[in-house]
Amino acid sequence: AVWASVEFLGFLCSLGLGGLSVCLGCFVCLVFFEKMAALNEKKTCSQRMENFKRFVWNPDTGQLMGRTLINWVWISLYYVAFYIVMTGLFSLAIYSLMRTLNPYTPDYQDRLKSPGVTLRPDVYGEGGLEIYYNASDKNSWEKYVTTLHKFLSAYNTTAQHANINCTSEKYFFQKSFLGPNKTKYSCKFTSDMLENCSGLANSTFGFPEGQPCLIIKMNRIINFLPGNGTAPRVSCTAQHDDFSPLELQYYPVNGTFNLHYFPYYGKKAQPTYSNPLVAVKFLNITRNAEVTVVCRVIGTGITSDNPHDPYEGKVEFKMRIQD
Amino acid sequence: MGKKRSDIYSVEIHGTQDPEKTDKEDEEEKYKDLKGNKKKSKKTEDLKKELDLDDHKLSKEELEEKYTTSISKGLTSARAAEILARDGPNALTPPKSTPEIIKFLKQMVGGFSILLWVGALLCWIAFGIQVAQGVASAFDNLYLGVVLALVVILTGIFAYYQEAKSTNIMASFSKMIPQQALVIRDGEKREVSAEQLVVGDMVEIKGGDRIPADIRLIFAQGCKVDNSSLTGESEPQSRSCDFTHENPLETKNIAFYSTTCLEGTATGMVINTGDQTIIGRIASLASGVGNEKTPIAIEIEHFVHIVAGVAVSIGVLFFIIAVSMKYKVLDSIIFLIGIIVANVPEGLLATVTVSLSLTAKRMAKKNCLVKNLEAVETLGSTSIICSDKTGTLTQNRMTVAHLWFDDQIYSADTSEEQTTQSFDQSSQSWAALSKVVTLCNRAEFKPGQENVPIMKRVVVGDASETALLKFAEVILGDVMGIRKRNRKLAEIPFNSTNKFQLSIHETEDPNDKRFLMVMKGAPERILERCSTIMINGEEQPLDRERAEAFQTAYMELGGLGERVLGFCHLYLPEDEFPDTYPFDTDSMNFPTSNLCFVGLLSMIDPPRSTVPDAVSKCRSAGIKVIMVTGDHPITAKAIAKSVGIISANSETVEDIAKRLNVPVEQVNKEDARAAVINGMELKDMTTEQLDEILINHSEIVFARTSPQQKLIIVEGCQRQDAVVAVTGDGVNDSPALKKADIGIAMGIAGSDAAKNAADMILLDDNFASIVTGVEEGRLIFDNLKKTIAYTLTKNIAELCPFLIYIIASVPLPIGTITILFIDLGTDIIPSVALAYEKAESDIMNRRPRHKKKDRLVNEQLAVYSYLQIGIIQSIGAFLAYFTVYAEQGWLPNTLLGLRVNWEDDYYNDIEDSYGQEWTRYQRTYLQWTGYTAFFVSITIQQVADLIIRKTRRNSIFQQGLLRNKVIWVGIVSQIAIALILSYGLGSVTALNFTPLRVQYWFVAMPYAILIWVYDEIRKLFIRQYPGSWWDKNMYY
Repeated sequence: AVWASVEFLGFLCSLGLGGLSVCLGCFVCLVFFEKMAALNEKKTCSQRMENFKRFVWNPDTGQLMGRTLINWVWISLYYVAFYIVMTGLFSLAIYSLMRTLNPYTPDYQDRLKSPGVTLRPDVYGEGGLEIYYNASDKNSWEKYVTTLHKFLSAYNTTAQHANINCTSEKYFFQKSFLGPNKTKYSCKFTSDMLENCSGLANSTFGFPEGQPCLIIKMNRIINFLPGNGTAPRVSCTAQHDDFSPLELQYYPVNGTFNLHYFPYYGKKAQPTYSNPLVAVKFLNITRNAEVTVVCRVIGTGITSDNPHDPYEGKVEFKMRIQD
Repeated sequence: MGKKRSDIYSVEIHGTQDPEKTDKEDEEEKYKDLKGNKKKSKKTEDLKKELDLDDHKLSKEELEEKYTTSISKGLTSARAAEILARDGPNALTPPKSTPEIIKFLKQMVGGFSILLWVGALLCWIAFGIQVAQGVASAFDNLYLGVVLALVVILTGIFAYYQEAKSTNIMASFSKMIPQQALVIRDGEKREVSAEQLVVGDMVEIKGGDRIPADIRLIFAQGCKVDNSSLTGESEPQSRSCDFTHENPLETKNIAFYSTTCLEGTATGMVINTGDQTIIGRIASLASGVGNEKTPIAIEIEHFVHIVAGVAVSIGVLFFIIAVSMKYKVLDSIIFLIGIIVANVPEGLLATVTVSLSLTAKRMAKKNCLVKNLEAVETLGSTSIICSDKTGTLTQNRMTVAHLWFDDQIYSADTSEEQTTQSFDQSSQSWAALSKVVTLCNRAEFKPGQENVPIMKRVVVGDASETALLKFAEVILGDVMGIRKRNRKLAEIPFNSTNKFQLSIHETEDPNDKRFLMVMKGAPERILERCSTIMINGEEQPLDRERAEAFQTAYMELGGLGERVLGFCHLYLPEDEFPDTYPFDTDSMNFPTSNLCFVGLLSMIDPPRSTVPDAVSKCRSAGIKVIMVTGDHPITAKAIAKSVGIISANSETVEDIAKRLNVPVEQVNKEDARAAVINGMELKDMTTEQLDEILINHSEIVFARTSPQQKLIIVEGCQRQDAVVAVTGDGVNDSPALKKADIGIAMGIAGSDAAKNAADMILLDDNFASIVTGVEEGRLIFDNLKKTIAYTLTKNIAELCPFLIYIIASVPLPIGTITILFIDLGTDIIPSVALAYEKAESDIMNRRPRHKKKDRLVNEQLAVYSYLQIGIIQSIGAFLAYFTVYAEQGWLPNTLLGLRVNWEDDYYNDIEDSYGQEWTRYQRTYLQWTGYTAFFVSITIQQVADLIIRKTRRNSIFQQGLLRNKVIWVGIVSQIAIALILSYGLGSVTALNFTPLRVQYWFVAMPYAILIWVYDEIRKLFIRQYPGSWWDKNMYY
């Protein structure tokens, strides 16, 4: 498998060529600075100019910038050869690096111990994710609806056509490549599984009614098994419970990510894999007030207490719905 | 013949008073020059006034009147206080020093500081803009700016501290015990601090005192002063209260500040104090001479210009590229900061300072105290040493050098540590001569020095008597005992009219009742009084043949520049001079002619035993040694010959003329390698003539030179593009010391003025220490080259990430903070360690470097470091970067063009090459891992870089991989720091380090090996094909 794509080889070549030209440029510059620095003596301006002219072209010795023409040719040839060898060595090293890589799974997942969680619609304002709109003003919420429709278009029946229906409530382990073109099967996740929030029955996702649907997505991590046998679920809470407790409706039921979507085997093994989603319908958002909501994915192996990463295992956003 | 004879005699004995006209003109010349030396007009006026000094011509009464004082009662305390308030204390104003704050600020803006300040400023500007835009990561720029500012301030403080430390050594050194003076005030004698002396004070001086001010003598008894620090002559000068010469410097009734009274007593009136004294004037002449930039400072400036030029032009170039690639201006500014930080070797100047101070310490151990750190290297590039004679090349004490008896010349040992004399002492003549030497001598050891080596004992007496006394003590032992046994009955001390000294003794042989009369003095005067001569212990008539033998010997010794004394004796017949005979020295009721001539002794201020070797070492190191002395040409030439400044087979124009028997004018000047130039001749020379002499003759001695002429000679040498070292001890040397590229003063014999003007002090007064200094200086120059090459290399590996980042839009491979950790962390100790590297070849066998051609950082060094090793390093580091990203899920092709999404704080599910999704923080953390891997790779490759920089030409295996232990300390420290940063501080997010997987440490290893192999090949070709294209382009 030639993983180093044509694009990358092109990059290497351009790097080599670019490097070469930059370096030759640098060479001339260095020679130049060396001379200019040496010229930094008490001399009159005209003397300096004269010296500089002599440096650029010395008619007595036939030297151009301190070297004869043939000398320049030699040094250029040397550097051309040097850089060709260096680029070659580098390409070779990258090539062997590619050869050692597994095309299906990365060697390490040091930074992907726990999946990130994102929200759709993902509209960012001054202070992060913000769902601010006026229920009576269509223009103010239309962008959210469009985003959601666009996002869910990957989950319509045609898009999910290649995936299989899964019914098991267990992890869907696949040892061998049984799918078409030496792939592994992916389970279907269609938008209708989100029921009221599928955008099919209510194409405005409840925005005008003040009961918007938001979609929670968990990032893919290869071979990651969330929940240790129990399906991880989404749980949203208002951060400052000044208002009445949030009344929420999760889809699919209980807001769980079904286990049969895990583990993920990677882009090459599962080219048609789609993340399972959980939709949350906010039923009693206090009007005209800013509510900060945190949605966590709860399950063994999913941490949401990393002080540095606000998107690890949870997503935080602000909502304000005006009349 | 007779005329010539007396010539030699007078030259030798009357050294200082010799051609009076010459001296007078010399002095006038000196002051004329001083005036002409475009000083402030005030100074010129002062000097004019000096010429008007007529105190020596005035009578006592006139003096009393002029200074409103009384010779018997002195000044009143009140009057003295008044004058003190008017004239200030009697002390030399220390040379004006730059205020500390200015020195400090200079460190803050010198070198790369400006560039880093610009970087910091840009950071703050970026911070301001980002804050206004509400960017979350804005504070990073604020911190980076603060860090950069801190770096500048800390390195500035460090450099300042280093400089202050070496200055402090000096300050403690020059502190003197306050001097006391015995002064008559209010009619009574009292001790006051010499600083309190004022014009008009009456002071009393006795042998051993330092003259506390310029003094017009009113009363003197047997007073002799040592003017050597003023005029460079080791001869003691007698002082009396008579007005003997128009020129105040020549007359005998003035004694000068800071000279020493050797013997006798005197009372005098203070006529000048503090800076008004002659010494004070010369000292101020010295401080008026501008301080030249040291060669290493010029080199470092040159290097800073190169690096700054590269940094600025690449920065600006990529700023333009970034802007034209539609980057935001703000982003472009941030790139610019990165490029500046990557390009500037932040730690290098501190490293250079440390290396220099390490060498300075090493030199201090070898008795070379360096006042100015940069002077450490100057000695290494020195191509001409102008050395003073007295005290530097010579021991500054008279010593018996030759003897002539039994018609034969014997050489005596003149080394510093003589304990025996090995010439043939069996002859009866020697027994007689030794008796005369012992008895006809008034010098005595100060009591209580039995355990002190003879040569170091303190003697009361003049220089030549001291020499004779020590000589006798070494051979015979217990001279004082011998004198006691041969009781002295009468004595006529030496005086300049009869030019002999005579004494009459009983003999120690109880059976011999005769008296022994012994006499010494000017040889021809002694010979006149002799009718017989002792040969092999027997008296023989002094016939024509014998007299001629005497003449030959006398001429020969005189020609060696030695002071010759003749010795004779006479046993007075017992019948004419019975036991009770009353000897009367006034009427001379005893025979003073028809004596028996015993022998000749000649004395010289001999060269230090280590000097000839040192001079020849300087020679082989391509350094021209020129002697510049105030002493006489004959003496100077003799010493120059004996130390090798004029080599044995070289001739001067005069020598050739004499050999060929033709007039001097007919001699082809180019045939003469050596030249002895008198101050008189120098005075009439044009600049061109002086240049011609300096170019055409490789062995030059300047004699009878004034301080001003020393300055002219130094300037002449500097016109030849030479780096000039001047050694000297006297006040008269101080202007030249100051003017020289490096002034070297003698620590023991040196006057304070000389030490103040010098850059370096030889604590043991040993000229040979200069050779050590040269060696150390050359070594540090070579090693600094290595240090700079080592440091510059990684700058490319730090710069490339930014360039690739801008052009290919990959996630940033290394952060600015991380770069600072390399520059100021891992790389510091290794680059200092290179200062400990031993020389590759015999550095004392090559020519000194050419000031303008052999640069510290030349084209080859920059190009080889930047464009070859630096590129290999970058490739190695990039491989590690790509490896880390690829193994974590980001294949190289995915990285291209990824930058905008990668750095998008709101993009928390970017897909990698395997389909996994990453939050912003996960990516950032990976980016830091990339930083760490890049950092580690640079570190690993810097280890290889460090090893290859050990040598420039030889193979590492020739040099010895393990010989320099400090290098290994450096390597260990480098790796230890990297380990600590990665694993110890990996959890501190602000530092952007992460604990790295072990295997990533080894990714760049093959490139490290490649660097080593490549460099070995380079060195191999350089050794194999010297002078080839390869050698010219690859040897730095």
